[in-house]
Amino acid sequence: MVQLSRRQVLFAAGAAAVASLAGCGDGGESDNKDLSGNRAGAMDKYGVGDQFKATEAVSFSILYNNHPNYQLKSDWLFWSELTKRTGVTLQPVAVPLSDYEQKRSVLIGAGDAPFIIPKTYHPQEDAYVSSGAILPVSDYLDLMPNFKDKIEKWSLKPEIDSLRQEDGKFYLLPGLHEKPWQDYSLAVRSDILEQLNLKVPTTWDDVYTMLKAMKAAYPNSYPFSDRFSKPNPGGNLLNMLALTHGLAGGGWNYQHVSWDANAKKFVYTGASDQWRQVLQYLNKLVTEGLLDPESFTQTDDQARQKLASGKSFVISTNAQTLVNDYRPDLAKTLPNARMIKIPLPAGPIGPVNPAPRLENGIMISTKARESKNFVAMMQFIDWLWYSDAGQEFAKWGVEGTTYTKDASGKRTLAPDVNVIGLNPKGTKHLQKDFGFYNGVFAYGGRLELVQSFFSPEEMEFQNILNARPTVPVAPPHPFSDEEREQATLWESGLKDYVVQGSLKFILGQRDLGQWDAYVNELKAKNMGSYLDLVNKAHDRYQKDHG
Amino acid sequence: MVTVDTKALERPVGRPRGQRPSRGYRIFQVVNAIILTGVVVVTLYPFVNIVARSLSDNAYIIAGKVNLVPRGFNVAAYQAVMSDSMFWTSYGNTIFYTVVSTLISVALTICYAYVLSKKHLRGRTALVGIAVFTMFFTGGLIPNYVLVTSLGLKNTVWAIALPNAINVFNLLVMKAFFESLPGELEEAAAVDGLNTYGTLLRIVLPLSKAMVATMVLFYAVSFWNSWFAAFLYMDRLELFPVTVYLRNLIAGATDATSTGGGLGTSSDIVQSAATIQSVTIVLTVLPILAVYPFIQRYFVSGVMLGAVKG
Repeated sequence: MVQLSRRQVLFAAGAAAVASLAGCGDGGESDNKDLSGNRAGAMDKYGVGDQFKATEAVSFSILYNNHPNYQLKSDWLFWSELTKRTGVTLQPVAVPLSDYEQKRSVLIGAGDAPFIIPKTYHPQEDAYVSSGAILPVSDYLDLMPNFKDKIEKWSLKPEIDSLRQEDGKFYLLPGLHEKPWQDYSLAVRSDILEQLNLKVPTTWDDVYTMLKAMKAAYPNSYPFSDRFSKPNPGGNLLNMLALTHGLAGGGWNYQHVSWDANAKKFVYTGASDQWRQVLQYLNKLVTEGLLDPESFTQTDDQARQKLASGKSFVISTNAQTLVNDYRPDLAKTLPNARMIKIPLPAGPIGPVNPAPRLENGIMISTKARESKNFVAMMQFIDWLWYSDAGQEFAKWGVEGTTYTKDASGKRTLAPDVNVIGLNPKGTKHLQKDFGFYNGVFAYGGRLELVQSFFSPEEMEFQNILNARPTVPVAPPHPFSDEEREQATLWESGLKDYVVQGSLKFILGQRDLGQWDAYVNELKAKNMGSYLDLVNKAHDRYQKDHG
Repeated sequence: MVTVDTKALERPVGRPRGQRPSRGYRIFQVVNAIILTGVVVVTLYPFVNIVARSLSDNAYIIAGKVNLVPRGFNVAAYQAVMSDSMFWTSYGNTIFYTVVSTLISVALTICYAYVLSKKHLRGRTALVGIAVFTMFFTGGLIPNYVLVTSLGLKNTVWAIALPNAINVFNLLVMKAFFESLPGELEEAAAVDGLNTYGTLLRIVLPLSKAMVATMVLFYAVSFWNSWFAAFLYMDRLELFPVTVYLRNLIAGATDATSTGGGLGTSSDIVQSAATIQSVTIVLTVLPILAVYPFIQRYFVSGVMLGAVKG
């Protein structure tokens, strides 16, 4: 007993220490809108189209996501040219990409975060909102003319609203796309299509017909053996099917709730009728031997091996894997094989371009607000990440050195510069040797700029998808802190059950006739309460801020 | 001893003439050899496979054709990795961190363990308790980070060496070992005029070579393999050890596709060739592999030493 009570005392002491530390996080509310003390280095007049240039030399710390393919170098032209153009020196805190999120959360939790925290994917910022460690950037948009301009010009308001928290503010400056960029689809062996006199499929039903024909011609094969199944089984396949069936996302992008525009409320994705259709479709493919059941468990390499050895003909792809993986693999083993990326097959909601128009974005540390250079920093962020000139600079580099521009405005890499295989003869690498086209600084932007790096083949794919309508954005349903905690508890159990249950249905281990039983099992895992929570949060937000 | 007598009587019956082992013993040896060979194969296979991969053409690896023998033999990947200056910087860091941290750890562990092994030490239980307490409770990630940062250890080798300097398990093993040394030796040393430090340095440590070698091995391997402290407390690329470099290379390849979830830009998708990964693994494991046999000599004799004495 003595032992026990001693331990209890220690526990209590520990808990008190934690509590007091946590208390440190909630700094004073800086509702203070007065920026007069924070204008050092800032431009008096800065607007759309202006080149930002700090009036005195300033430097800002930035969390830097270090990519193994282009390791950070301090002698990159990017840094020196950036300083030359803007008068800003960035001080990167290098974090390996492999564990970026963990370090970010430690640094923010310890109050030691750099001012600028990029590479944050919504809703990762939610976790930091209540601590007060990150800045409600929506309060300071007046300092960011380019950001505001693009939101208005590209009608991104619904997308931006989806980032709002319970207080009606948002804490993340997202990357903005003029047009959605759907990268993932299916890759198909086009030589087999020709051989069997098949057309390129446009709907999921066409895909079924195509696979059926392939199976008839090659009875010993599984025509479709998929990859991207780690860590989420059927990560990409389920997501593509869910999106084209009008759901918010499945597989590696699993979204618990999808917006039902007719009923004006959220429904649970894994229990929706559309999800049942998705499972039914995949189950049909598996039962008829068209889809390799191992698709949901195998590694990417195993799937690539099957494709390379001619045991399968269809696989998930994006623009990069098609060029970097499948074609080189096949060139070695089956020289006559040809592989194409087909336009994303359409589902029951018709052809759509389901890609979101928001990218990962930037959080600002709250303590940056106290800096005398705060205004200059916001102007700088606005220029580098959101102005046309800044985006072009981050992507293409310096005209005349890394690229050239002809009269029509078409950009070409300099003869000695290469990136993503566009100029194989180039000896220098745009990312590795110059620091441009860097995932930390270069994303989003005008359609023309995004597409300036696409191959003609990918352009064709994008043109088809850009002609399709986008999907409407679901309204926000921001949780309060307690609600979020509760929701997170329910979510993990629900997600696991949906993943397992769905796989059973797909692989035929459970009959789809038992769908109602499955939905009831989800209800037993608090699906109902979870939905209530979401819909309540949505109603409340509509009432307060709608 | 009675038992010795009976054994002496049985010996001519069980093992007639000379040392010929019994039939049962021979069967046991054969079975033993087969099972242990199996274990060796299972243990060695992944490593040989990695070596084979490191010397193979990437296409053969993707095609799943590389098992024990390299296919499409080439050393281009070795050249590629070795020409990356960042790899060597990281490598140098690893060696530096390992040496410094191991020295500190071994020195501190010996001091602490030696003190604890003395039964007449007042407050001994409390000192043991303090050490053992840390085995079960830690301050947690963020308080540790705040502590290390406010002590100004960030971006220095001390952030790696000091917080993990004493491994409590090693400490207890060492303490038990010191306790097992005959007290008479130290008494004799004291009689001959050695003080506590002299006894430790001239009598106890020379007798504990096996133990110290084992500790050096344990600590060195754990520091060589560790990445988390460096990842947490180092903010600049040129300070990272090779484990962080390697982890980024390998984990980055899988992470980018999964966390990106199709939402990331395609410039984020890592195309790290399988060969490069294998090469980096081989180069990282090699030094520890080379050191092991030399230290293991002490390790084996140490274990036997204990057996004979016990």
